Amino acid sequence: MSLSAQYLWIIPALPLVAAAIGALTPRSGRSLVAGAAIVALVLSFFISCAALSTALANPAAHLTHNFIWFELGNDTVRLGWLLDPLTAFMCTMVTFVGTLIFVFSLGYMQGDENFKQFFCFLSLFAAAMLGLLVANSLLLVFICWELVGLASYLLIGFWFHKPAAAAAAKKAFITTRIGDLGFLLGLLWLYDSAGSLLLYDNGNGVLEATVLGALGSAATVCGLSVASAIGLLLFCGAVGKSGQFPLHVWLPDAMEGPTPVSALIHAATMVAAGVFLMARVYPLLTPDALQVIAIIGAITALLGATIAVAQYDLKRILAFSTVSQLGYMMLAIGVGAPSAAIFHLLTHAFFKALLFLGAGSVIHAAHHEQDIRQLGGLSVKMKLTFSTFAIGTMALVGVPLFFSGFWSKEAILHAAHATAGSHFPFYAALVGVVLTAFYNTRLMAETFFGHARSHAAEHAHENSAVMTTPLVILAFFAIALGFLGTPAYPWLQARLSGETAVHGHSLLDGVGLLVLSSVLVAVGIGAGFTLYGRTRRLRTKATAPDPLAIAAPRTHAFLGDRLKFDELYAATFGVVNTLLATASDWFDRYVWGGIVHFFALLGEFSGTVNREADEQGLNGGFDATSETLRATGQAYSRAQTGDAHGYLRFLAIGFVVLALVAMLGGVA
Amino acid sequence: MVPEAALVMGALFVLTFDLAFGRRRTLERRLYLAVINGTAAVVAAMYGAFSSGLADSVFGGVLILDELTMATRLGVLVLAWITLTLAGSTARFSHPAEFVAIVLFATAGFTLMAAAQQLLVAFVALELASLSLYILAGFDKSKPESAEAALKYFLFGGMSAAFLLFGFSLIYGLTGSIELHEISAHLAGHPPTPLLSVALVMVLVAFGFKAAAAPFHLWAPDVYEGAPVSSAALIASASKLAGLTLFVRLLWPGFGPGAGNVSTAAGAPGWLAIVACLSAASLLLGNFAALAQSNLRRLLAYSAIAHAGVMLLGVIAAGDAGNGPLFYYVFTYGIATVGAFGVIAVIERTTPCQRITDLAGLYRRSPLLTGCLAIYILSLAGMPPLAGFFGKFIVFAAALKLGGLAGPAGWLAILAIFLSAVALYYYLVILKQALVVAPAAAISGDTVTNRITVPADAAIVLVFAALILVVLGLSPSLVLRIF
Repeated sequence: MSLSAQYLWIIPALPLVAAAIGALTPRSGRSLVAGAAIVALVLSFFISCAALSTALANPAAHLTHNFIWFELGNDTVRLGWLLDPLTAFMCTMVTFVGTLIFVFSLGYMQGDENFKQFFCFLSLFAAAMLGLLVANSLLLVFICWELVGLASYLLIGFWFHKPAAAAAAKKAFITTRIGDLGFLLGLLWLYDSAGSLLLYDNGNGVLEATVLGALGSAATVCGLSVASAIGLLLFCGAVGKSGQFPLHVWLPDAMEGPTPVSALIHAATMVAAGVFLMARVYPLLTPDALQVIAIIGAITALLGATIAVAQYDLKRILAFSTVSQLGYMMLAIGVGAPSAAIFHLLTHAFFKALLFLGAGSVIHAAHHEQDIRQLGGLSVKMKLTFSTFAIGTMALVGVPLFFSGFWSKEAILHAAHATAGSHFPFYAALVGVVLTAFYNTRLMAETFFGHARSHAAEHAHENSAVMTTPLVILAFFAIALGFLGTPAYPWLQARLSGETAVHGHSLLDGVGLLVLSSVLVAVGIGAGFTLYGRTRRLRTKATAPDPLAIAAPRTHAFLGDRLKFDELYAATFGVVNTLLATASDWFDRYVWGGIVHFFALLGEFSGTVNREADEQGLNGGFDATSETLRATGQAYSRAQTGDAHGYLRFLAIGFVVLALVAMLGGVA
Repeated sequence: MVPEAALVMGALFVLTFDLAFGRRRTLERRLYLAVINGTAAVVAAMYGAFSSGLADSVFGGVLILDELTMATRLGVLVLAWITLTLAGSTARFSHPAEFVAIVLFATAGFTLMAAAQQLLVAFVALELASLSLYILAGFDKSKPESAEAALKYFLFGGMSAAFLLFGFSLIYGLTGSIELHEISAHLAGHPPTPLLSVALVMVLVAFGFKAAAAPFHLWAPDVYEGAPVSSAALIASASKLAGLTLFVRLLWPGFGPGAGNVSTAAGAPGWLAIVACLSAASLLLGNFAALAQSNLRRLLAYSAIAHAGVMLLGVIAAGDAGNGPLFYYVFTYGIATVGAFGVIAVIERTTPCQRITDLAGLYRRSPLLTGCLAIYILSLAGMPPLAGFFGKFIVFAAALKLGGLAGPAGWLAILAIFLSAVALYYYLVILKQALVVAPAAAISGDTVTNRITVPADAAIVLVFAALILVVLGLSPSLVLRIF
């Protein structure tokens, strides 16, 4: 099977059509809308597979199809589609994981009265995300990027009657917009210096040698080269969308949305868009920019893992672990290993979707109880959910050899170790490994082991097959996917970097690191199990304090408050913003408002004058005349003459005036 | 000549068919059959226009087949098709076949206007179209308003035709030819005389009438208000498109050497200055007078006058920028207007729709109509991403390119941009009624009878028109690349 890049648009178009069907169907058409959404995504999946096989046949090629969107004077704005292994892998992943999540949603959202709308939004989201992936123009990427943001806003706030959900939706939208501003500026600057926003264009695209050379020789601004500045501005967009420090605050709050949304958007696909973007524009990034990206990634990885230790909400823990894992991916890009980043992105998409859907399964079974202190003992009651969740956790933690997360994390650690730049990211990543193992063990122990600590947990039972089948499929991939990129045979990385031959090396080459990270994972799991697994087995009450809270209450509380980032932002940017808003409001109301009112009055006045002149003077005059004439039963022909006089006199006057203008102008 | 032949044959066929088979049927049935036959004629004409190819001179040079001809012919045929279909499902006339036949005759006039490049042919084509339109305006014999509208339209049109003919004869006297090429060559070789100015102004008076530009706009509000809806739709859309094409061809290729210059403040004098005056007057009068309207159709008429101002600006810019922006603007305006009239026509099947407040609560009565109306009105107002926005954008850009802000063309563009903000107000008043205001108490009582049923064919063309506006707005090069 091969697919020309010309037809790549079909991949996002199918879900878009499904979204349109969803928007136009009345609320009762539940099965139609859900069916359309799932069928469209499955078809997209098949086309993505065709695209993948095409791309893999020649991984070094960037197949493009560019076309003119519109022309303005001498400027042509062109868009296009791009097919290379990166696009193809991502499309296949998004459509596959997306399909499973759509199916899971059938069960999870069954009782919701806005079921139809939910699937409409999901399709819109999938369309935007896929559009972003196949775009060969940063402009198109940006458009889809914003559409993804919109869909995310709609879905986080899906239960908008909950104030927390509405606030979270707003927060997510506004926070990511701050990053998007940087993205837009970077885009404009790039357009200004490169004259094009096409990524690949037969040698003239922004990622190709001609433009890169021109950018490299461009002047510097305040010690930064233009290329670095553009790269960092684009990175701002990725910081917002991928929940990197310091804009990570929206991601945990986004868990207010329905759980399938958390799985699809805030774990598997949308937040990966930032990483994807960075991997896509990797040729543009200068060493300076990469250094910044690596450090931000490392801080995020560490920060997310630390905060996750002290959270109690099942989904929030997973959210912070997402923040942390996205940090790992950014770190990988920063240390010059975009293929490792994408490898981790792909494996993470599967096991994190698995974890979120597993969490959804737990929450659905436990009547929307998501506080881990209230759960417990579910391993017996929900065997399938438990075992798949355990596989997901082990993949996330990086349990050696058999789980995908281990191999992808290993690739990142190797790259971070081998980098010529600072080694801070490497050490941060190692600490992150321990913490990740620790808090995930805590999560498992609290949720699935020990005694049920609430009514809801006691009466939980396994969910229907429509919800568990996706779990099983995802669990399979959470294991299998790792073998695509082991150091012995790094097939995936080779294809992503455009090579046809795979240069593997013996596992013993980096065995020190392999052993070290295995030991660190063991330390984390051991600590977690000691603190939560053993001592708590006897615990039956939900109110018993956390062992860490007993050991270091202040630190624990501080972590529990998520390092008070929200409060910090509220006290600084929030206050400034409120002040500015108040000032603008005053200005708007009294200064601009006054001016506008004045002109409105002026407009109204002249409108009235015009109408009076037109209707009363001419029209009205005639109407009145003809009314009288009709009333007195005069001959129609006389009404006729009145008519002609009123209007035609005006025509004649107009002619005379214009003729005078023409002749006087001619004389002058 | 295939399109014209198809239309005329079609019209005759419609009449004979009705005579032969229509006598025993109901009026509705006869209208339905006539519309089907008429549509077939329009489709045949479309095929003819599409396949005719390009040629510099046809029939000894009296006609020209260039890109503008082709685009205009297809444009007026699309508009005529929409009008016919709407008429078929909404109109109630006592002579349905005659109505359809006259629409076809008028359309034949339009397509001929699009191709004419000789003064006499131009005049004959214009009169063929105009006479048909006078009849259409007065077609609803049961209403005195319709007769009044027709009479006013006829008197005004007749007068302006007289001016046009007088202007043509003066031009013939001055240049010795009625061929546009020769007129142009003669004008280029001789300095302008006052008599020539008068002749040109006479032509422009007729142009102002056709385009409903101030101060020759007085017929428009009465005709829009009084004429049957489908006739008004045709007068407001296809007639405008054909008129603009005819006159832009007369003015630039024909009288181009006498154009003068308006790109700088002290440019050479010529007919451009007159067009600029007309444009400014139309923009100001149309937009401000529309603010004070409470009758929906009169409002559309004043908005048409305001749009005529922008079109004249497009005529000014057409010398440099080509006919692309102007055609795009007029065509998309025509589609939006015909759509808006179509919505009115469908509403009038159940309840009267004269005042703006008659639209109140439309969103409850028919979501489909409301959605389409919103697209038409927002396109008229120039909201991105609809075609109306892009049309305004390219016309203004072309006008500003002439000389920046150094001359009247640039000033006019700025004036038009400011007045667009004013225009937004009265357009939004319409949408506010349709979308926000609750249905009137008398109506809201009985919800079952109050739902407006939209006939399937009307629904299809309304959605089609809305789609055109969206698609052309997103991808304007579909039209612009023709030129």
